Amino acid sequence: MKIKNIITIVVFAVFIFGMSVLCVAKPADEFSLSERRQLASFPKLSVDTVKSGEFMSGFETYTAERFPMRDTFRGYKAWFSANVFRKLDNNGIFVADGHISKIDSDMNEEMMDYAAQRFLNINNKYLKNKNIKLFFAPVPDKNFILAPKNGYPSLDYKAFIDKMRQKTDYMQFIDITGLLDAEDYYTTDTHWRQEKITDIAEKLGAEMGVDVSAGYVENTLENPFYGVYTGQLAIPFKADTIKYLTNDTLNNCTVTYYDMGKPVTGEMYNMEKAMGKDPYEMFLSGTMPLITIENPDAKTDKELYLFRDSFGSSIAPLFAEGYKKITVIDIRYVQSDFLGALVEFKENSDALFLYSTTLLNNSMAMR
Amino acid sequence: MLFSSITFLYYFLPCVILLYFAAPKALKNTVLLLFSLVFYAWGEPRYVFLMIATVLVCYVLGILVEKTRGRFLSKVFLCLALLFCLGALGYFKYADFFIANFNKVTGLGVPLLKIALPIGISFYTFQILSYVIDVYRGDVKAQKNPLTLATYVALFPQLIAGPIVRYCDVEKQLTDRSHSIDKVSVGIRRFIMGLSKKILLANTLGELCVAFNASDEKSVMFYWLFVIAYMLQIYFDFSGYSDMAIGLGKIFGFDFLENFNYPFISRSASEFWRRWHMSLGSWFRDYVYIPMGGNRVNKLRFFINIFTVWFLTGFWHGAEWNFIVWGLYFAVFLLVEKFFLVKKLEKSRVLSRIYTLLIVAVSFAIFSGNSLTEALTNAGGLFGVGTDFSVTADFLYNLRSYGVVVLIAIIASTPLPKLIKEKLEGNNVFKTVWGIIEIPLLLGLLILSTAYLADGAFNPFLYFRF
Repeated sequence: MKIKNIITIVVFAVFIFGMSVLCVAKPADEFSLSERRQLASFPKLSVDTVKSGEFMSGFETYTAERFPMRDTFRGYKAWFSANVFRKLDNNGIFVADGHISKIDSDMNEEMMDYAAQRFLNINNKYLKNKNIKLFFAPVPDKNFILAPKNGYPSLDYKAFIDKMRQKTDYMQFIDITGLLDAEDYYTTDTHWRQEKITDIAEKLGAEMGVDVSAGYVENTLENPFYGVYTGQLAIPFKADTIKYLTNDTLNNCTVTYYDMGKPVTGEMYNMEKAMGKDPYEMFLSGTMPLITIENPDAKTDKELYLFRDSFGSSIAPLFAEGYKKITVIDIRYVQSDFLGALVEFKENSDALFLYSTTLLNNSMAMR
Repeated sequence: MLFSSITFLYYFLPCVILLYFAAPKALKNTVLLLFSLVFYAWGEPRYVFLMIATVLVCYVLGILVEKTRGRFLSKVFLCLALLFCLGALGYFKYADFFIANFNKVTGLGVPLLKIALPIGISFYTFQILSYVIDVYRGDVKAQKNPLTLATYVALFPQLIAGPIVRYCDVEKQLTDRSHSIDKVSVGIRRFIMGLSKKILLANTLGELCVAFNASDEKSVMFYWLFVIAYMLQIYFDFSGYSDMAIGLGKIFGFDFLENFNYPFISRSASEFWRRWHMSLGSWFRDYVYIPMGGNRVNKLRFFINIFTVWFLTGFWHGAEWNFIVWGLYFAVFLLVEKFFLVKKLEKSRVLSRIYTLLIVAVSFAIFSGNSLTEALTNAGGLFGVGTDFSVTADFLYNLRSYGVVVLIAIIASTPLPKLIKEKLEGNNVFKTVWGIIEIPLLLGLLILSTAYLADGAFNPFLYFRF
């Protein structure tokens, strides 16, 4: 018994003191690749921050987030939770039908109103007087297929979309839910697969009165794609493969990126980003406030203003066939009040508001 | 600071253990005191001075009470100590409750003070009161060393969530305690068991309670699932904290009394309270109930005594009417049991347990509310008041998702695992296997608990009201 007690003390002393030394000497990196987010920094130490308790709460977050081998520990937790406690989700992340998804069950009417208000402002300020035809197409999260089928709580997508439709009744609503299947989304990510949404692009085009149908060559990215949910799941999961579509029209298009500084002409598919932290950002270079896609071979002079979130990045190229110019606008990264200075809205064009239900339900980032 | 935090486990604990065991005997209490003050100030920088002031006042008054023992002045000094300690508790914890109710009754608009409640004030106030009262009674000698008294009050293992350690129980240990490999080893095991109870079971059950509160589909069955989860959450959280306190106490050479003893196997409400938060129950028994005459009085006075004690027990848990109702609810059952049920409950082990679990479940529904209305809604929901018996999607999902945890928690809340282990200990094969796997199992629990903390999983602190 004595020996066992000594072993107990030695084992726990080694573990506690060892981890303690590691915590101080080798905290986890500042950026979590698996969670794709910046982790907490060491809090500011001052009399004021100590008095207010800000230092202490910051330190608690810092020590938890920068704990050595945090991803390994998160993996242990996820495994235990799923396999011993048999919990159906881990921090809201679940696996069903070979997909990783996130529980998304609360409708946030305030956020929906906010998004609708932003759209209305844009319409009143730039579109209304130019005889621009307005279209609204919400993109449901893959949960709308996976959750009900597998008994997970989920947003009432039908009610959500109906409400958004009512709030944007000055636009022509386009229902794409019937065309979407679980296979149309990446298994490890929230986004849809470009190679699976050509039918959606065609439907949207048809509703807007343009023919965007075309033949494409399917290209496969060599490196594996671990989507945003892989890291959140915290246990190993089979990677996705990114496929992207090309054809002569797309190859001949001129893509111009308007970020900070001068506009830059670039590629439709950013191969540098394809090899980066989030390969989905290869589509129109990921987060960009303003992009134009000009098709020199277009059969019409029509222009499209695509107000979008990240779902728009992969579908925007598929509209190139039917438009002379597509202006892709992300009002999360550009103040919509200043759009007039950056975009010249042309008479008789089309404007499509294409947003995921996830963003519409959490629209605070729209500006 | 919380025991269930990376900061405590991997920053605070190694430092305090290192310095404590490196310090000579004469400085051990000083090390403990300094670290205890840091531990408290970590969550309450301002209120550490209130705790120090309470210690100093009671230190002086304790000596004066002893010096004047047998004289009227002794009573005066005791009253001053009570006034100071209960005054501080009343001001910080109950002032807004009284003002709000005063406003409701009179229709006036006296502004609320909105004072943040000093963490652990109910625990350390009761601890120091036990000291002064015991000095007055002559049960213990007044402590002449203010640092020793401060160490007793501020001792971090039991400072913020109990158990309520009486001065008389640790008086000798404060100045002369032994440390041994066996004791430290037992302390480590106890601490890890408590940590796992809190992090793995209580916090996971807490997630279910949060899901219930957020749900719009609260059917009768969901109310029951919630109340079962809530009972178990509170039990594993509270008893987990007590285990950690007892374990840490052992590491530093103290022997704290037990605080929980499988309360859910009780066969009556009175037995439940002999097994649940035992340090609080015995405190009220020895410092309120017995001085009021206990049960050696006439029936009316006995009723008054019981209702007073349980009113205070409820009120101690929080400055809301639902806690008072919760306390009085138990008073009613204790009286009913004493006068009508005691013999009937002895007849059937099964029925008496079902009866106890039922009344305890309803009591926790009352306890779970943030207001009396919410408490009554939760209690009513168990019986279909304001809801229906439908099987909702939310209920089904949460039952499927948390069913195993609830089941594990139910089994772990009974002495069954302990009994099985004790039975198997006679078997040599089991003894050998257990001898080999016990340490890896405990290490596994510590790693898992750490994993939950590093993941930033749900980790509530339930004692902010106490």
